[in-house]
Amino acid sequence: MREVAIIGAGSTVFGKLPDKLPYQLGAEAARAAIKDAGIKARELQFVYSANLYGGMVIGQAVMAEAGVTDVELTNVENACAGGATALRKAWWDIASGLYDMGIAVGVESMSNSLIADKLIPPARGDITGELGMNMVARFALAQRRYMDTRGVSLEQIARVSVKNHHHGSMNPYSQYRKELTIEQIVNSRPICEPITLLQCCPATDGAAAVVLAAADKAKRYTRYPITIAASVLRSGDYNFRWADMTFSDMTHKCAVAAYTMAGLGPEDVNLCELHDAFAVNELMHYVELDFCKKGEEVRLLEDGVTEIGGRLPVNASGGLLSKGHPISASGVAQVVELVWQLRGQAGERQVTNAKTALAHVIGGEVTGLESGAVAVHILKR
Amino acid sequence: MKTIVPFREGLFESGAEQGVLLGSRCRQCGQVVFPGRPSCLNCLGEEIEPVRLGRRGRLYTYTIVHMPSEHFPQPYAIGWVELPEGVRVFSQLKGWQEQPLKTGLEMDLSFETLWEAEDKEVIGYVFRPVKGAKA
Repeated sequence: MREVAIIGAGSTVFGKLPDKLPYQLGAEAARAAIKDAGIKARELQFVYSANLYGGMVIGQAVMAEAGVTDVELTNVENACAGGATALRKAWWDIASGLYDMGIAVGVESMSNSLIADKLIPPARGDITGELGMNMVARFALAQRRYMDTRGVSLEQIARVSVKNHHHGSMNPYSQYRKELTIEQIVNSRPICEPITLLQCCPATDGAAAVVLAAADKAKRYTRYPITIAASVLRSGDYNFRWADMTFSDMTHKCAVAAYTMAGLGPEDVNLCELHDAFAVNELMHYVELDFCKKGEEVRLLEDGVTEIGGRLPVNASGGLLSKGHPISASGVAQVVELVWQLRGQAGERQVTNAKTALAHVIGGEVTGLESGAVAVHILKR
Repeated sequence: MKTIVPFREGLFESGAEQGVLLGSRCRQCGQVVFPGRPSCLNCLGEEIEPVRLGRRGRLYTYTIVHMPSEHFPQPYAIGWVELPEGVRVFSQLKGWQEQPLKTGLEMDLSFETLWEAEDKEVIGYVFRPVKGAKA
């Protein structure tokens, strides 16, 4: 298996962008990544493009606009893990020796989707969906159990949102650039109790892209190649095997596999972007990613360990909570942020001396399964 | 008169005085699941027996939803109820305005109208707090 490096990273600004169609968003990110890599568009040998709500063959429309045609091009969908899936597949196409250089792009325009201003509908015939389940409720149910069995308060959970909005306030790519207080978050409108509006990520339009190359060829293009040390993707297991709804078995298994693949441990990680679709997720993921033992996660947050300036900054970009969550773009956008951070190009929110970074996303709902998909990537400079 | 129809065929028996939820148990590995399955998802065993699940369980977790849904006016309550067989059932929760919900609360199965369509009344299972029960 060959070593693979990221040689280019690009992103649109995230936000409400109803005037930009999905292919325009995607092309903007792809062009930025190609320019950043210092390559010509026609040097790309293959494309993986992730999208959920844009319709058929979005990847072709995106890449045609960016000057890439007549190549192997695959459209992928894995809900919120779609972008990470595109990255994983692009990594393998180079690691396996099939190609030397390609691009992974994730794009979502919620404003231009058929469900704009609506809820994500349950799949037809989905029993729990028909009985009133939705994406927020799924995590509200986990949060209720978490608070009641582990003695964690709403104020402690809200602190995740305070931290990530603080980080987002320093990120020009972030949908929200505003500091929030614990009081504002706790007192915002209830959505699915105990989750209030400001504990939720927003609906977001945006796109992100990375150019990958075989590591031995990467040095030709950049002085700062970022190596992909681990790439792991897993589907969810049956609910009846899921012992504790406050601990994601699939995230934990995926993380353990990623650490093994990288030959690293959680103690080696200096920087992390994780799936904070709801504030409570971040605390649970600290435990599942083995950053701390069960019961120590609130202290990790309160001691400032996971803030910029701490030992292990988490969601320095602002995370899904503040930077925003354009579904299929998020998995790629996390990696774009980590590349910028590892190269020292993150401006005001720059984390110092990070060498190893981890990206984690989880996505999709299926009755009877814990969740749809989970992905963990570990990057090294 | 509206026709009374079950929310799903084969999930429950509500005709008798006290209805029950219908699950299945694998004779090979013992795994109980709801809804029942023709073969075992756990060990892929083919020998399956039907199980009439216990009517009383404990509230594993719950939420009050303040969002629109296809069938239920907001706010409405939903949750997971853990039954004696170790199976968790996702359900609408009723009676929470009179008796506040709490994780661990004892809950009773009941069969009620879930929603009404043009010419039919859709019935299904819901759970209500056991009167006077504490978590």
